[in-house]
Amino acid sequence: MTQKVVTKEELFKKLNSLTGDFEVIGPKEYAQKGIFYETAVQADRLYLGEDFSIEPVKKFFLNPSEWLFDCRYKNGRNSLEDVLLPNSKRIIIGVRPCEAKGLALLDKVFNADKHKDEFYLNNRSRTTIIGLACAKPDRACFCTSLGGSPIESRGMDAIIFAKAEGFIVEIITDKGQEIFGALGQILNETQRKSYALEKEKSKEMVRTKVKVRESLGGIFKNHYWGEVSRSCLSCGICTFLCPTCHCFDLVDEKRKRMRCYDGCAFADFTAEASGENPRPTKRERYRQRVYHKFDYFKKNFGENLCVGCGRCIRHCPVKIDISEIIDKAPC
Amino acid sequence: MDNIYLPHLVEIIDIKQETPDVKTFKLSFPDEAAGKPFDYKPGQFVEFSVFGEGEAPFCISNSPTRRPSPSTSSFDKSSGRSPERSRRASSLDRLGTSLGTGIECSVKRMGKVTQALHELDISDIVGIRGPYGNGFPIEDLKNKNLLFVAGGIGLAPLRSLINYCLDNRDDFKSVTIVNGAKTSKDLVYKDEYPIWQKARDTRLYLTVDCQEDNWTCMVGVVPKILEQLKPTCQDSVAIVCGPPIMIKYTIPVLLKIGFCPEEIITTLEMKMKCGLGKCGRCNIEHLYICKDGPVFNYAQIKNFIDA
Repeated sequence: MTQKVVTKEELFKKLNSLTGDFEVIGPKEYAQKGIFYETAVQADRLYLGEDFSIEPVKKFFLNPSEWLFDCRYKNGRNSLEDVLLPNSKRIIIGVRPCEAKGLALLDKVFNADKHKDEFYLNNRSRTTIIGLACAKPDRACFCTSLGGSPIESRGMDAIIFAKAEGFIVEIITDKGQEIFGALGQILNETQRKSYALEKEKSKEMVRTKVKVRESLGGIFKNHYWGEVSRSCLSCGICTFLCPTCHCFDLVDEKRKRMRCYDGCAFADFTAEASGENPRPTKRERYRQRVYHKFDYFKKNFGENLCVGCGRCIRHCPVKIDISEIIDKAPC
Repeated sequence: MDNIYLPHLVEIIDIKQETPDVKTFKLSFPDEAAGKPFDYKPGQFVEFSVFGEGEAPFCISNSPTRRPSPSTSSFDKSSGRSPERSRRASSLDRLGTSLGTGIECSVKRMGKVTQALHELDISDIVGIRGPYGNGFPIEDLKNKNLLFVAGGIGLAPLRSLINYCLDNRDDFKSVTIVNGAKTSKDLVYKDEYPIWQKARDTRLYLTVDCQEDNWTCMVGVVPKILEQLKPTCQDSVAIVCGPPIMIKYTIPVLLKIGFCPEEIITTLEMKMKCGLGKCGRCNIEHLYICKDGPVFNYAQIKNFIDA
C-alpha cells in the first residue's frame, strides 16, 4: 500500500481534469439542509469537512428507483427490452469508512454465487471510491463496536486523511492508483511513523461503545421488542438512510418494471393479498430489522449487517436508538 | 447483460375455471428455442408477470412428467393421459422435456395481479421468471408411504408431486390423499379425482367443512378427518399444504398419530417479490422462503411457525 501526501490544489486540479472521462460525485453542503452527494461537482465546491452526509453513498449503487426492463407491444407482438446499463466511469470522493463497508456488505447480497445482480455490479465496477477518514465522529457513531473504525478502508479504492498540510492518501487498489499514481510525494520514514501513531489514536475518537452479542437467540419472543418499538412511526427513514438496508419492491409503471426501495418498517411490506400479514405490528417489524442486522445476516454471511454509521439514530423522528437497543437487549 | 429480473414471455394456451375464484392457466414458451429449456421439480414456483400490473409468485401445479404443449392444449376431460403417453413418461428422462415443455399454474383471484390474470384470455402473453425454490425432497420420499394433506388451493403444489409419484409408481409405497375445501364448489382438480381413485394402492378422501345436499364424501375440517382416519405413520411421510390455519391444526394431529417432525413436510407461503433471496420480504429467521424453501420439514420451522 502506497502512502502519499498530496496538496489540496493538486487533488482538486486532478479531479477537475477528470471530468471528461469520469463523472465526479461528492458531498456538497447546503445551508440549513445538510450534506448531500451530488453529481458533477466542481472540486472546490466539495465538502470534505467533519460532518456526515444525510444519505449514504448506497443510492449510487442500489438506485432508489430504476427501470429493469420494458415490455413493448408492437405490430401485435410483445417483446421484452433490456435496459442499457450505463458504462460511463464515475469517481465518488468523500465516502466515509462506514458507507464503504456498507457496500462491501451489499456485495455479499448482490454478488451472490447464484443470481448476480448486474444492475448493482455494473455500478460497482464502473466506480472508483475515494474514501475520507472521519475526523470527528459524533455520539451516534458506533462503528468500532462492529469491527469498523474512522480510518477503515474496506470497500474503497483509496482513502484520504484531511490534514493541515493537505491530504494524506493511501492507495488501496489499481483503480486508486489510476487516480493518485502520478500525484504527490511518497511519505518519508518520519512522516510515516507519526502518521501511523496518529491513525492508531484516531480509533479512540468513537465514544459510543455497544455490546454486540454473537446472536440474539433466545429473546425472539421477549416483550422487549414491543417496548422498544412502541414509539416507532413506521416511517421507514431508518431503512432508506441505512448504508446496508437493501430490501426492494418490484412494481410496474405502464409496461415497464421498476425496482424501488422498500423496507421492513412499512406495514404493507409483507401484507399478502389474502389479508394475512406475518409481521402485523411494529413489534414484529422492528424486531425483523434488528434480527436481520444482528442475527440472520451473520448466520448467512458471517458478519453483522450494520456498520454503526448512526444515520438511523440521527434522523429518527422519535429518537429510536438502535445502538442502545442492542446494548440493552436482555439475555 | 444477464438480467435476473427479466421474465420469459409465455403464451396462455388454455384456461380452466376450477372453482368460482380459481383458474388454471396452461402456458407454453414460444421463445424456448432461443433460451434454455425450462426444467423444474415439483414444489418449485415461478414469478408470474402481468405486464402493467406487476408480478406475483405461484407454484407450478403440473408434474414435470405431464407438461402441456400447444398441440395438446385443451384440457383432457376424459381419462387424463393415454397409455402411450404414460409409457413414454416412464421410459424417458422424467425431468426432461420428453412431452410438452409448458407449465400450469392455478391462481386464486385475490389481489391486483391475480385479478388482472383472471381477466386474460387464451393466446394472451404473460411473463414467467423461475423456477425458484427448493422443491420437494423427492429422494427422501422414495420407498415411503405418502400421506398428502391439502386444503383448498393448497392442493396445487401437491398435485404436481402426486402426479409425479403416480407416474413413477414403483418408487413409492402407498399414496393417501386427504383433500378438503370450504365447500364442494371450492375443490380444485375435480377431473383428476377418478383417476387418482383408480390408481394402484392409492386412496383419496374428500371432505368439506359443512354438510351439503348431494355430498356423499366426508364432512369436517381436515385435522378432524385425519384424527378419524388415523393413517399409518410407519415408513411414512406427510406432505401438508393449505391455509396457515389448517397447517397450524393439522401438525399437532400428525404428531399425535406418530409422525416425527422430520416426516412432516410443508410448504410455507409469504409475499415474495424477487424470488432470489434479495428483496427481503420472505425472510423468516435466517432463511428466505423463496430461496431456502418454500418446502421445509416441521423440524426446520417449528420454532417460528407458531411464534
